[in-house]
Amino acid sequence: MSVTVARDVTEAVKVPRALFLPWPMGHHFGVPFHLDLQRRVILAALMLLEESAEPGTIRDLPIKWADVRREAKSMLTIQGQRL
Amino acid sequence: MTAADKTPVPAAEPREAGTQLRPGLWQTINERYPGSMIRKESFVSQASLSKPLAEARLTLISSCGVHCKTDPPLDVCHPFGDFRFKRVPSSSKQRELIIHQLKYPHDDADLDLNVIFPIERLQELHLERRIGSLTPNFFSFIGYNMDPERFERTVAADIADAVVQQEHADCALLAPA
Repeated sequence: MSVTVARDVTEAVKVPRALFLPWPMGHHFGVPFHLDLQRRVILAALMLLEESAEPGTIRDLPIKWADVRREAKSMLTIQGQRL
Repeated sequence: MTAADKTPVPAAEPREAGTQLRPGLWQTINERYPGSMIRKESFVSQASLSKPLAEARLTLISSCGVHCKTDPPLDVCHPFGDFRFKRVPSSSKQRELIIHQLKYPHDDADLDLNVIFPIERLQELHLERRIGSLTPNFFSFIGYNMDPERFERTVAADIADAVVQQEHADCALLAPA
C-alpha cells in the first residue's frame, strides 16, 4: 500500500494500489505537527488497503495543498512555530 | 469571437487545483537520470489482506533515509547510491531518529518526522487498536539508486524477505520520499 505524491511515477511503476496526494515531495503525510491530517492520510491509505480489488488502483485524497498550507499557517502561528 | 476569447486559459495552479504539484516528474527523472528508474510492463499482483486490520501486523517502509541516531548513516554521496537499508525499531521516539538524505526536501520532516515517516501516528493507531500490531522494526533506505536491477536484487528483495520472514508482517505502508 503506497502513498504517493507523484501520480505519473506511480502509474509507470505499476504498483498494486496507491493513495495519491497533490502535495510536495517529502510531505506525504502533510505538514509538521498537524496530527489530524497525518492520521487522516494513514487511515485513507489503510481503507484503500482493505477495499481495493484491482491491481493498479490509484485513489485520490482530494485535499489541495493550498488548503493544507493555509491551515498549517494558522496552526503554526498559534503554536509559535515557524512556517 | 473577441480577442479575449482567443486568449489561452492558463492551466490551474496545482496547489489550488489539487493536481500533481510537480507535473511531468517521471519524464524529468528519466531525462536527468537515464536508466535509473524501475519499469514494469504489467501490474504487480494485488494480495488481499487475510485478516481484519485490527488483527493485522503492519510495517512501514520508506525511501526517506531515516535511521537511529546511534547508527551510522547510509552513504548519500556515492554516485550510484547505497544499496543497503536500515531497520528502525517501531517503538522509536522521534528524538531518537534522524534523516540523512539529500535528494528531497526534508526541512519540514526535520521538524516533525511524521510528515514522511509517520511512526508516532502508527504507534497511536496501534494503541487505539485500529491496527493489530506493528512489526518490531520498520525499514528505510535512500531513494537514489542508479542501478534499478541491482536495487531490486538487493534492497528490495532483502527488505521483502525481512518483512515476511523475520517481521511476519501482514501488510506494509510504503512512503516513497
